[in-house]
Amino acid sequence: MKGSASGVIARWGVAMSIVLAVTAVRAPGDVTTERSSSILIFPKVQFDSTGVQTGAPVDTIIQISNTSNSMVFVHCFYVNAVPEDPSLPPGILNPPQCQEIDFSIWLTKQQPTHWVVSSGRRLDQTDKSCTKDFRGCSGAGFDPGLIPPVSDPFAGELKCIEVDSSGAPSKGNHLKGEVTLVTPAGDASKYNAIGVLGINSDQGSNNDNTLCLGGGRSSQCPSGAEYNACPETVILNHFAENATDPVVEELDNGQSRVATQLTLVPCREDFENQIPAKVTVQFQITNEFEELFSTSTTVTCWSNLTLGAIARVFDVGFLGTRFAQTRMTAATDDESGFVGVAEEFHRQGPAAAPLVSRAALNLHGEGVRPNSDTIVLPEAP
Amino acid sequence: MHVRTGRLGMLKQAAWWGSVSVAAACIALSGARADVTSDQAAAILVFPKLVVDTSVPPETARGPVDTLIRVSNTSDRPITMWCFYVNATPHCTNGTGSCLSTPVTCSPIGACKAEWQESDFVVSITARQPIAWLASQGAVLCQENDNPAVPCLPLSASGRPGPKGQNNDGSRISPVPEDPFIGELKCIAVDQNNVPVERNDLKGEAEIIRSTATSIDVEGYNAVGVPAILGLNAIWNGDNTLVLGGSCNGGANSGLPCSNASSCPGGTCAAEYSSCPNILILDHFFDGALDPISQRQVTTDLTLVPCSEDFATQVPLTTTVQFLVFNEFEQRLSTSRPVTCFQEFHISDIDKASKDRSIFSAAVQGTLTGQTRIRGVADQDQAHGHALLGVAEEFRADAGSAAVNLHFQGIRPQSDFIHLPAGGL
Repeated sequence: MKGSASGVIARWGVAMSIVLAVTAVRAPGDVTTERSSSILIFPKVQFDSTGVQTGAPVDTIIQISNTSNSMVFVHCFYVNAVPEDPSLPPGILNPPQCQEIDFSIWLTKQQPTHWVVSSGRRLDQTDKSCTKDFRGCSGAGFDPGLIPPVSDPFAGELKCIEVDSSGAPSKGNHLKGEVTLVTPAGDASKYNAIGVLGINSDQGSNNDNTLCLGGGRSSQCPSGAEYNACPETVILNHFAENATDPVVEELDNGQSRVATQLTLVPCREDFENQIPAKVTVQFQITNEFEELFSTSTTVTCWSNLTLGAIARVFDVGFLGTRFAQTRMTAATDDESGFVGVAEEFHRQGPAAAPLVSRAALNLHGEGVRPNSDTIVLPEAP
Repeated sequence: MHVRTGRLGMLKQAAWWGSVSVAAACIALSGARADVTSDQAAAILVFPKLVVDTSVPPETARGPVDTLIRVSNTSDRPITMWCFYVNATPHCTNGTGSCLSTPVTCSPIGACKAEWQESDFVVSITARQPIAWLASQGAVLCQENDNPAVPCLPLSASGRPGPKGQNNDGSRISPVPEDPFIGELKCIAVDQNNVPVERNDLKGEAEIIRSTATSIDVEGYNAVGVPAILGLNAIWNGDNTLVLGGSCNGGANSGLPCSNASSCPGGTCAAEYSSCPNILILDHFFDGALDPISQRQVTTDLTLVPCSEDFATQVPLTTTVQFLVFNEFEQRLSTSRPVTCFQEFHISDIDKASKDRSIFSAAVQGTLTGQTRIRGVADQDQAHGHALLGVAEEFRADAGSAAVNLHFQGIRPQSDFIHLPAGGL
């Protein structure tokens, strides 16, 4: 028995309406800053002993822990994105180096570890433990491996990938991490590493050197998604650039202004061929009057810009309100997805010599990208 | 339209519609949330720690402080939220006022006792609108002669409405009930009649800002979101008892934890909102350790609040909390402590030992950093709290501070309940 053409069309129309109505419920972004994962992305890692690139000296502490009861192996990659000439500001004529350096660590059951990026961490069993009278025990504990120091200055990201003892990618979702950016004066900001959960399914993995984040089957990803997808939209609530800090004003402590640095890194990475990923990021900004503005910028390998440097539209004088919500998407689905972190700098006092404090905030994600983002690892020995 | 009348036709039609429904359900389930979240929009926002002290001289140890709360609507439809401050400011029993200071002083004779008092307000947010307020000041609709330093709600029907005519009318954000203040804020997505709605459209942050004439210190954290379970997955009744997580009733997985109907084949899942986490994980410096960059001693404060809350009867719930502490040698120590309603502690005070003898002290642990797993002990008694949420803050001696969200692991079979006052406002 066959239905008429109109009946079939009508039935499919109703059916698709049901499917669309259900799928209209937005899917969550699948990367996470609060759950143990198989890939950790630390978007903002800085070491600058003189402040030549960052404006003021800063260093970074990385913390990683194994949240499982078995040993975990980790393959980590620094991506140094300081400009080719680190003594000059970044720009079109001074592009980022996008230089990768990798190392391996291993963590025993539930083991936490840490290192300072400027010094790395050596295998040294003579490291002294902390006592009541000795507090500087930075090397104490099981050394997780030889972690190289970064160059000075360094500005870029760290990606860490859970692997098995042979070095092949493993999707145990056993890693959590944090970053603390600290100035020599003790001002600090802290954020959670962004985690990408491995998908543990019979079909969803081939353990090769191409890691597939989201998407379906393709020539690069014959098994389909092996890890969760990067978010389709990244959301930031923020101060308008150069807006005043209401608490400083409330407490009558003089002039103030707030600047927000936005650090974005593409989800795609080709560590084998050292090809930096590029993405055009579209910004949609809504101010407190619900007025909508937009702008865009291009991120190659890594980007750390104040909102004011991205576009004048972020400035409080243009935006007209003190607070805004910004939604960021890749310009096209074919480009890489991206993740990031925001860091606010609150300045108090005269503009020439202000007091400064920094605070980092993880961004929110919404939706999942339809296409795969791939991370290509160097071939194992 | 051709009508099938035969038995085979009916079976085929049923099978076809069934497959469409399954496809739709599968697609919907792919978007279902399993857990609470601090990086996605949600229907309930929990700000575990707000602190205000603008008194002169300040009572709090680190000087004048206020908390900036930012919330935005991530959808293109207006939304209303019903918010509850939980005032956990301790007071001297001799009536001499609050006792947030360290060390506590309630002279001449008196004890310092925590109190828990709820106060609530409603705020309407237009499409995609960001709003913000100072905990010490609250916010009202903007007026012409307002102090420009104090954030206000800018859209009104009589003044300046939004581009689509939406406005913040009917909103009045109350300031925290006292200064100094310490406590929590919970905000719940509701409709205009204050009936909870299944909309995961709220995101928020809190910034704790300390400022004196010679210093400024800012720390920020994301509000913890509890997503509503959407569409086909939930047994949603919109009453005043919000059910966070739970177990399957009947079916193959009866008694096991569930976050949506798909977890309970043949049965039902009672949850309206995602489950609170079974375990919170905190990576931290051990107290008293020297920060290797600034060479200053680091201490960590942990704030914990129960997921369950009874705003209707104002009965504070107590949860026993187990702490498992691992150092960088993989050595494990543990302790436990009850938490009632709201608790903020220096981690080295959790085990009530002297600073250098605490299991959270670098002097005892021997390493700079550790991992602590925090678990609320659950039972079937609804008078007890079950799961917990929280936030951590790191302080460097005579320098800055930084806040960080905790990690979550697992869900549990016991539901947590938020009881709202009956009849809305």
